[in-house]
Amino acid sequence: MNFVAELLISVFLVISGIFGFVGSYGLIKLKDSLQRLHAPTKATTLGVGGVLIASMIYFYAKTGHLSIHELLITLFLFLTAPITANFIAKAYLARNVNGEDLPDSATTYGWSVYDDPPENMPEAKDV
Amino acid sequence: MSHEGTLLIIIALLPFVGALVPGVMIRAGRTACAWFTAVPTALALIMLLILAPDVMRGEVIQAELQWMPQLGLSASFFLDGLGLLFACMITGVGLLIILYARFYLSGDDPMGQFYTYLLLFQGAMLGIVLSDNILLLLIFWELTSLSSFLLIGYWKHLPEGRQGAKMALTVTGAGGLAMIAGMLILGNIVGSYNLTDILQAGDQIKASEWYLPALILILLGVFTKSAQFPFHFWLPHAMAAPTPVSAYLHSATMVKAGVFLMARMWPALAGTDAWFYIVATTGLITMVMGALIALFKDDLKALLAFSTVSHLGLLTMLLGFGTQAAAVAAVFHIINHLTFKAALFMTAGIIDHEAHTRDIKRLGGLRHLMPITFLIGTVAALSMAGIPLFNGFLSKEMMLEEASHTKWLDSYYVVPVLATFGALLSVAYSFRFISHVFLGPVRDDYPSNPHDPPAGMWLAPALLCTLVIVIGVAPFLADGIVRAAASAVTGAELDPHLKIWHGVTPALWMSIIAVLGGLVLLLLHRPLDKAWIATPRPEAKAIFDALIMSVVALMRRITDATHNGAISRYLAIFTVASVALGWIAYSGSGLSAPTRELLPVPIVIAVGWVMLVVATVSVVVMHHHRFRALVLIGIIGLSISAGFVYLSAPDLALTQISVETVTIMLLLLALHFLPKVTPAESSGAMRFRDGIIALAAGGGVGALAYAFLMRDIETISDYHIANSYEGGGGTNVVNVILVDFRGYDTFGEIIVLGIAGLVIYALMHALLDGPAARRLKNTDYTQDRSRDRHPLMMVVVTRVLMPIAVVVGIYIFLRGHNQPGGGFVAGLVIAIALLMQYMASGFAWTQERKKIEYHTMIGLGVVIAALTGVGSWLAGRPFLTSAYTYVHLPPIEEFELATAMLFDLGVFLTVLGAVMLMLYSLSRIARSAGETVNEAAMDYDPGEHVEDAKGGT
Repeated sequence: MNFVAELLISVFLVISGIFGFVGSYGLIKLKDSLQRLHAPTKATTLGVGGVLIASMIYFYAKTGHLSIHELLITLFLFLTAPITANFIAKAYLARNVNGEDLPDSATTYGWSVYDDPPENMPEAKDV
Repeated sequence: MSHEGTLLIIIALLPFVGALVPGVMIRAGRTACAWFTAVPTALALIMLLILAPDVMRGEVIQAELQWMPQLGLSASFFLDGLGLLFACMITGVGLLIILYARFYLSGDDPMGQFYTYLLLFQGAMLGIVLSDNILLLLIFWELTSLSSFLLIGYWKHLPEGRQGAKMALTVTGAGGLAMIAGMLILGNIVGSYNLTDILQAGDQIKASEWYLPALILILLGVFTKSAQFPFHFWLPHAMAAPTPVSAYLHSATMVKAGVFLMARMWPALAGTDAWFYIVATTGLITMVMGALIALFKDDLKALLAFSTVSHLGLLTMLLGFGTQAAAVAAVFHIINHLTFKAALFMTAGIIDHEAHTRDIKRLGGLRHLMPITFLIGTVAALSMAGIPLFNGFLSKEMMLEEASHTKWLDSYYVVPVLATFGALLSVAYSFRFISHVFLGPVRDDYPSNPHDPPAGMWLAPALLCTLVIVIGVAPFLADGIVRAAASAVTGAELDPHLKIWHGVTPALWMSIIAVLGGLVLLLLHRPLDKAWIATPRPEAKAIFDALIMSVVALMRRITDATHNGAISRYLAIFTVASVALGWIAYSGSGLSAPTRELLPVPIVIAVGWVMLVVATVSVVVMHHHRFRALVLIGIIGLSISAGFVYLSAPDLALTQISVETVTIMLLLLALHFLPKVTPAESSGAMRFRDGIIALAAGGGVGALAYAFLMRDIETISDYHIANSYEGGGGTNVVNVILVDFRGYDTFGEIIVLGIAGLVIYALMHALLDGPAARRLKNTDYTQDRSRDRHPLMMVVVTRVLMPIAVVVGIYIFLRGHNQPGGGFVAGLVIAIALLMQYMASGFAWTQERKKIEYHTMIGLGVVIAALTGVGSWLAGRPFLTSAYTYVHLPPIEEFELATAMLFDLGVFLTVLGAVMLMLYSLSRIARSAGETVNEAAMDYDPGEHVEDAKGGT
């Protein structure tokens, strides 16, 4: 394996390690759930991403073939991490925030967590 | 196998195959149903008659199919004279009963069921008389108990029927258990379970010190089945069955099974003092006592039942004498008793059917109203009484002749006097049957308007009565079959000549005394009856019920003490027992010194281990908070999966991760409807006790694993690794073990998994009616629910993920045979993909879009796995042997096709079905808790909205 590849792999591993550490530290340091959910979903996504890129380079340098497993993992990660964050936020809102304290939704119906979906779909604005 | 041998196997199987038909044919009408029941029976009879000439010449026809040779169990059959006699009786009377039952059963009775049970019973009986292997015989023996249970309890709405069936099953079943032990001893003495070998080893058996235990155990089975004193009490209670059943089981076949077995085992067991005193004495007591009770029974069928008990006693006594002449008499009486007793039962049935009562005290004078029935009943009853020119006379003479020169202890009088007394009582109740039912003036208070039944009903007993007279007048006609059967019983060449007149012998005088005494008893019946009723007698049913009740009470006390409903107690008992057994094994083992060094522990692994320990301890500490405990359990599961990966067990890791995911998801869903906190119920002392048990068990398992890891032990793994590719065609040893080496285990496991899924479904069904359901309905879940139940983002993402997940599942499935993966993991992966859909869009919405029932999926899975296994039979290999080949289709690389893959497909379907069924069960709780069904896939569907906008413009 040539030096450039090794260097690249090391750089990405270090980057991912830093992001992973920041994410984990944030999980302890940040104050409440809404703040905390950023730590694992954002920082750690980048951390794992770094490992995946390092892994792709490693296998390319070693076998000469492009490994696509990592792309699949990335895809799953990109799909699941935001949804998880979204769900944690919704759960937090539903449990800890009173709907009446929130600003008005500026439509005829309320925020989705607190109000049933509208019976009749409102007019589309962009179509 | 010879041509005859094949016929024999077909005869034995025909009724079982035939039993599949009546249940279906009943839709074509009752007559068609009867015809289709008669066909297999008639075919079996015809085949028997084809074989008959050979057997009558003294040949023995044999056929053998290997079944479980390791156990000494083979499906082998043989047909000799005795077997032929019984097989012809079973099929011949079977035919008559089928005819009779067609007219006897009313339109409300489920006739298809009746004929199915009847054929099952017939098959079991045929199996007993044709078996050449005593283990096979035992199987059929138990089958007769089971099928007769169904037949006796046929009228499920009658409590007498149910109780009678239960009693018969208990008594004959318990006897059967004793007999199993006896037969096993017998097989061990001889060293073979083949009947033909055992029959030739009579001297060896009688010389063995195990002879007496074996004899007693076998006789227990025989006596219970043949209703011998003191086990006779079940037979009268079994009379609650429909009369065709009584006529078939309780006169002709099942109760004769015991007699048959005594006759069968005669060469091996008979001829010793023990045999004589146990068998002959029991028979004698039964004969006299049965006859005595029969005389005072008012119920026609009860009278016949006790008379049957008495005649069975007579047969037992004859076989107990152990002489060849007595054996001939027994065989002949078996035929005669069959003819007249079946006819009498059918007569009783006709009277019951027409007069709507079987109470002798309410009958009388029927000869004017039912002349045909009168004729049939009288002929049969006279034969039962033993009047000359009827066949009962002949065998009774032979019995008295044998009794007259039998010495019991030192007395030459005990047996002849008691036998004569028994015959006298028999005459008395037979005459009573005729005079109190048919003779006398016509009464005007019958419950119904009695008249002769349609021909279909009296044809069967009439035919039997013809036989009664034909054999009675020309006994030499029965010479052939009696010779063949008696020779088979004794194992010697016999040449009996049956005739009416034997000259003036002691037996003739005894007979005359019996007839005259019987007449006197009949005349004195009224005062005697009063005296009988006034005498206190032990009531067998009350004793039996009390016995059963006390056993039940005892068992309940034991069960309540150990299984009191608290799962902690079950687990404690189980764990303590395992630890104790492990300790015993360890202390007696003399463990050798370790042969390996402890490997160095890498720092990463140590950290992981510490995390695992911390998580486990946290579960113990926090288990009252269920959500927290669940999260911790998830952490433990993932750590263990990581451990598997580290220890090079990728298959286990894959399985562990997917199982973990599915369980956590289902548990989360379930937890929503459960209390979130476990109340603290255990006292400090209990916790201390449980802690010690847990530590002992955990420490024990740890020590065991450590001990094994520190030693070089030869395990089966080496064999598996060496043969995985050669034998199973796969390089993934774990998968090959699952689908090939231990495929049978896997097959069992998927069945268990399927059952578990179904049981959860069923339990949930019961749960939804109970107090838990009321709690659910009364709890308000609306407030802890977010208003957006099916968020757009989630729905869209799960839709996107679905095809990817399915592809991953298929990929894991296909590579399973050679690389980590397989049907189980694939099933779980796809289940997770589906679970996501259900969680995103709600269960009911998703449910509408699936095409296949989960129950069906489980069934299909098991069936596919089973068919794959059976498929290897076609290639002449054992169950579940896998075959594989390599296929090359041009665009893709060469790949492997293995039958194991089909088996894996079965595993896959069962796993998927079971998981989804569990989810379905949970969603039913949700529905019952008031969850509504959404119509759209998500709360706010922009797609629809775009459609609307387009339509609008």
